[in-house]
Amino acid sequence: MSKGNYIVITNNPLVFEKLKDGHEVIYREISYEEILKDVRDRIHDGHRLLTHPLSGSVKPNETPYKSILITKGKEKMDDWSVQIIESAIQACRKFEFKSDKYGAGVYKDFQMIDWTLLESGLASADLW
Amino acid sequence: MRLEMGHIYIKDIQFGPESKIEDGVLYVSEEAVKAVALEEEKIKSVSLDIARPGESVRITPVKDVIEPRVKVEGRGGIFPGVISKTDTVGEGKTYALKGMAVVTAGKIVGFQEGIIDMTGPGAEYTPFSKTQNLVMVCEPEEGIEPHDYEKAVRLAGFRVAVYIGELARDLTPDETKVYETCTIKEGIEKYPDLPRVAYVQMLQSQGLLHDTYVYGVDAKRIVPTILSPTEIMDGAIVSGNCVSACDKNPTYVHLNNPVVHDLFEQHGKTLNFVCQIITNENVYLADKLRSSDWTAKLCKMLDLDGVIVSQEGFGNPDTDLILNCKKIEAEGVKTVIITDEYAGRDGKSQSLADADPAADAVITGGNANQVIILPKLDKVIGTLDYVTKIAGASEETLREDGSLEVELQVITGATNETGFNKLSAR
Repeated sequence: MSKGNYIVITNNPLVFEKLKDGHEVIYREISYEEILKDVRDRIHDGHRLLTHPLSGSVKPNETPYKSILITKGKEKMDDWSVQIIESAIQACRKFEFKSDKYGAGVYKDFQMIDWTLLESGLASADLW
Repeated sequence: MRLEMGHIYIKDIQFGPESKIEDGVLYVSEEAVKAVALEEEKIKSVSLDIARPGESVRITPVKDVIEPRVKVEGRGGIFPGVISKTDTVGEGKTYALKGMAVVTAGKIVGFQEGIIDMTGPGAEYTPFSKTQNLVMVCEPEEGIEPHDYEKAVRLAGFRVAVYIGELARDLTPDETKVYETCTIKEGIEKYPDLPRVAYVQMLQSQGLLHDTYVYGVDAKRIVPTILSPTEIMDGAIVSGNCVSACDKNPTYVHLNNPVVHDLFEQHGKTLNFVCQIITNENVYLADKLRSSDWTAKLCKMLDLDGVIVSQEGFGNPDTDLILNCKKIEAEGVKTVIITDEYAGRDGKSQSLADADPAADAVITGGNANQVIILPKLDKVIGTLDYVTKIAGASEETLREDGSLEVELQVITGATNETGFNKLSAR
């Protein structure tokens, strides 16, 4: 899938910085759960999910950052994408919210881990 | 493939002027072990410590746990493609130092994972409270990238484990076990009436601190393939992950995978243990579809009657787990899946992020959100600086009396999804 065929949805400033030149990135300063809901709305609008929204073992509400790849083009709503994103939103509520309780240095590490998770998805996306 | 595993029991570890094993005691030369670890150029310094079962010691942040082994006969060496040259392993003779482990620790990221308590309630949740542990805390060179630091600590641990394993090369094992697999044709001829069963192992493969290596290959880049189950006993699969320590497989678990060992126990009696199938848990959805297609295809081609599928991790891998289960069942092969649960602190939430009616035989490793109070212990190996930053912990984790209020997910191996843990409903 060439760079022109997918969109990155992220609240991670590091991802935005790394990809803003050469990729289509939608960067929004919103919460992890709000990113999932943003993606859900786009899926309902016909975009398809390309990476798993619960990538990474740092749990929702523990890391504040989330980056997700979706298709640029729109088709008929994809049921599997809907199912995955809805389950992910539901999963968020199981975890105590503590994204705002860390020291400053930790946020950089959360950004970096989110970036490496997305990077592994990009590596696969760029093969297509 | 036929592998003879010699077990040498280690009842104590002590520092001494010379590294050796004598009467079940491992003597470790600090200087020699440090020199081995410092072969990794990105590591500036290593401090060594010993943690024994029952001692008031907390080890954190744990990166990996490794059982020392040595290959005494047969092809290849321990950790092929990583420490030893690439060669097919899993046959001949291997010795393992039982009752002990090399534990690596080091702050790679600011929310580092993994607690091993050697006593108290926390010790009940980790299998590594029962091993004599040689702990290596590795400090990196200044300005090093987390990727390079992770790799250096990972490899330093393997180097030290191999160095210690070599000390056993000329010893006589206390106990010997033989593991033997058949070729496909031999198995059909030898056990015509037994069900053909394989083990499908899903490997964590998502990115930094979420990776696994097979013969040195990043598991993200594999397509599902088959192994002789004896290969893992020589270190064919190693861990590169430690985030959410409760349900990640340290290298020790790969070496001693209980699913493999239990299937060998039944091999030739109640079932024919055909092979191990490995697959991955990539973040890219098309990769998931491809890998689950291949896994189901291999099950069909091998004419299996049943498989046991083990997961590694939570969330993203739940999707792989259910895809594997559904597609393998659709090929007419029965599945039993092993997972763990994130069911919320009260245990009332949906346990997995995916589900399907085909998943009608499920084993759980426990609820990772379960809250536990870990009392203050006398000594910390590593640092508590990051304990509030690990998954399942927060700035309120460290309480006034020095105790920690955490979820089980911080404890190394607590809800392991190969069953290498201590939780049970019995």
